[in-house]
Amino acid sequence: MNRRPVAQLLAVLALIGAGWLVAAQDVRLPNAAASVKFAVIGDSGTGDRRQVQVADQMLRFHGKFPFDRVIMLGDNIYGAQGGQNFVTKFAQPYKGLLDAGVAFYATLGNHDSLDNRQYPSFHMGGERFYTHVMKNVRFFVLDTDQLDPKQLAWFEGALKASRDQWKICYFHHPLYSDGARHGSDVNLRVALEPLLVAYRVNVVFSGHDHIYERLTPQKGIQYFVAGSAGSLRRGDLRRSAMTAAGFDQDNVFLLVEILDADLSFQAVSRTGQVVDSGTLHLPAPPRADHRPGRRSDSPRAAS
Amino acid sequence: MRGKALKLPSFIFDSLLVLPLGCVLALVWANALPESYYRFSHALEFSVNDVGVVFFFALMTKQVVEATLAGGDLHPLRRAGLPIAAAAGGIIVPVIVYLAFLKQVNEPMLAQAWVVTSAIDVAACYVVGRVIFGRHPAVPFLLLLAIASDAMGLAILASANPAATIYVVSGLALVALAVVLAGVMRRKGVASFWPYLLVPGALSWCGLFLSGVHPALALVPIVPFMPHAKRDAGLFVDTAPQAQDALSRFERWWALPVQGVLFLFGLVNAGVPLHGLDAGMWAVPVATLVGRPIGILAGAEAAVAAGLHRTPRVGWKELLVIGCTASITLTVGLFFTTAVMSLGPLRLQLKTGALLTAGGAVLAFLTARLLGVGRFRAARWAGPPN
Repeated sequence: MNRRPVAQLLAVLALIGAGWLVAAQDVRLPNAAASVKFAVIGDSGTGDRRQVQVADQMLRFHGKFPFDRVIMLGDNIYGAQGGQNFVTKFAQPYKGLLDAGVAFYATLGNHDSLDNRQYPSFHMGGERFYTHVMKNVRFFVLDTDQLDPKQLAWFEGALKASRDQWKICYFHHPLYSDGARHGSDVNLRVALEPLLVAYRVNVVFSGHDHIYERLTPQKGIQYFVAGSAGSLRRGDLRRSAMTAAGFDQDNVFLLVEILDADLSFQAVSRTGQVVDSGTLHLPAPPRADHRPGRRSDSPRAAS
Repeated sequence: MRGKALKLPSFIFDSLLVLPLGCVLALVWANALPESYYRFSHALEFSVNDVGVVFFFALMTKQVVEATLAGGDLHPLRRAGLPIAAAAGGIIVPVIVYLAFLKQVNEPMLAQAWVVTSAIDVAACYVVGRVIFGRHPAVPFLLLLAIASDAMGLAILASANPAATIYVVSGLALVALAVVLAGVMRRKGVASFWPYLLVPGALSWCGLFLSGVHPALALVPIVPFMPHAKRDAGLFVDTAPQAQDALSRFERWWALPVQGVLFLFGLVNAGVPLHGLDAGMWAVPVATLVGRPIGILAGAEAAVAAGLHRTPRVGWKELLVIGCTASITLTVGLFFTTAVMSLGPLRLQLKTGALLTAGGAVLAFLTARLLGVGRFRAARWAGPPN
């Protein structure tokens, strides 16, 4: 039997496979010079091998897609808190990114200590809730462990005052989620959703469920659950009608790029596989001013 | 409808009828139609927890005020020494267990709510205590201990409220003014309870609200100034229909509205999801079911060692059963939870924990049976049937 054609076939297949692998690890974002670039991690602070591997993958992608910030969705430090734990569960795993000048902006999760808001590298300024800005994007960071009246009043005031093109909100507990372990937090949703809708928040990121899920827009808002950057609950995603995309087989982080009215995203696994990607287009601005009101539009995603 | 075997005072009977009804309805509603339930509970929370509950605590305060009168369980006050010492032990040990458990299950955010472990549901304790002990000195001991523990918990809540505002001084000044006004009214011989409610009561509510202390306690400093009976008929004993003093009339007038408040309190606060909560929900039941009996026994024995007189017929076995009974936090646990934690998943975990402490009743019965205490005393002495 002539083995040459078989070898040729195998070589071609290997080339295709390698090409697919390279393509799967590609940056599928515009990567424009003037854009806002950031990464999203949730439930990351385990200090174990998986967190380190995700961090290494983030650093690899940072080489191709130089994001300036990382937003942390809570449970940033699991188990013992403070002191050396900031090193083993944060500073060490993300050393490469920190050395490259990437800044981390955290929110608190239920496994974090309240004192973690004082940790300088989390950029919380000692607050449980705060905002930060990147060009045309304003981030609203909430503490959903305790949604006290003071925080709600502050949130409404901050939303009202914002004239930013993009309003992105992030907090630990998801208002919508198909995670079997926790799922949607309806109690919080009843309190927060009216504000998110009235003041036209565009995107919400949460963690808590240790999966990746992109939901279909709910009342005009795009929701992401990205709680598997360290901890993973394999097989926990129960797909429903509101699941637009999801991945629960490996740890995931998100890369996001905003260029004018477009938000592009890419979910990347621990091994570098791209598990979801797409672009949201901001609807044309309403003619009326920023007065609260019900919205009928929603960001359109093209995956 | 009242049981023939155990005739319950109205206050206890009402608490145990309407409150569980509200709790069960809340549980069903919150799990069947969560969105509409939470919308309802968020809308009513303030009016029920911060306004309606004022009258529940006022009725509780009436019981304590009357217990300090001649014939009362707190007369003279030194009689309360041992239950208070036991209550202190029953607070300290559960807090230690609570914090250790949270460390174990990695839920540090719940640590700030440690005061919830001091809550004891007085009405539930009364019923369980009466069923186990009948008419025995252990029952007033249990009630005094429960009231003392709740009072200490309320004092901790009042002094360490996370929602404290910058109006602390002016708010507390208003409360002080309300107390002075109530004193003046008492001296002037104001005999109706309404002026006490409408002027110093309202002032006290505003003062507490401004200062960040839970306003549900507004009538606690006012009730002692209302004209009251000369003698106490006993803790939670129904007011005589012919009693015309302000405090007795206050109780008769507010008994029915407070039933409504308790029903709404259960309905607004007990709706917790039966799925998806974290391990923190076990912290309160573990702390009280394990820590309270040990703490109460340790507290009482330490007090006896320090020179206080032991309550007759209340030995270590009775103390252990009292401790198990006092692990039930229910209503007061729910109240403490709403006072110490704002809306969110942590509060739901604590509320679930407070509801789970109902298991303390089972534990109390099992312990009593095992130790041959109260109604199980004769059975144990008789030994197993041949």
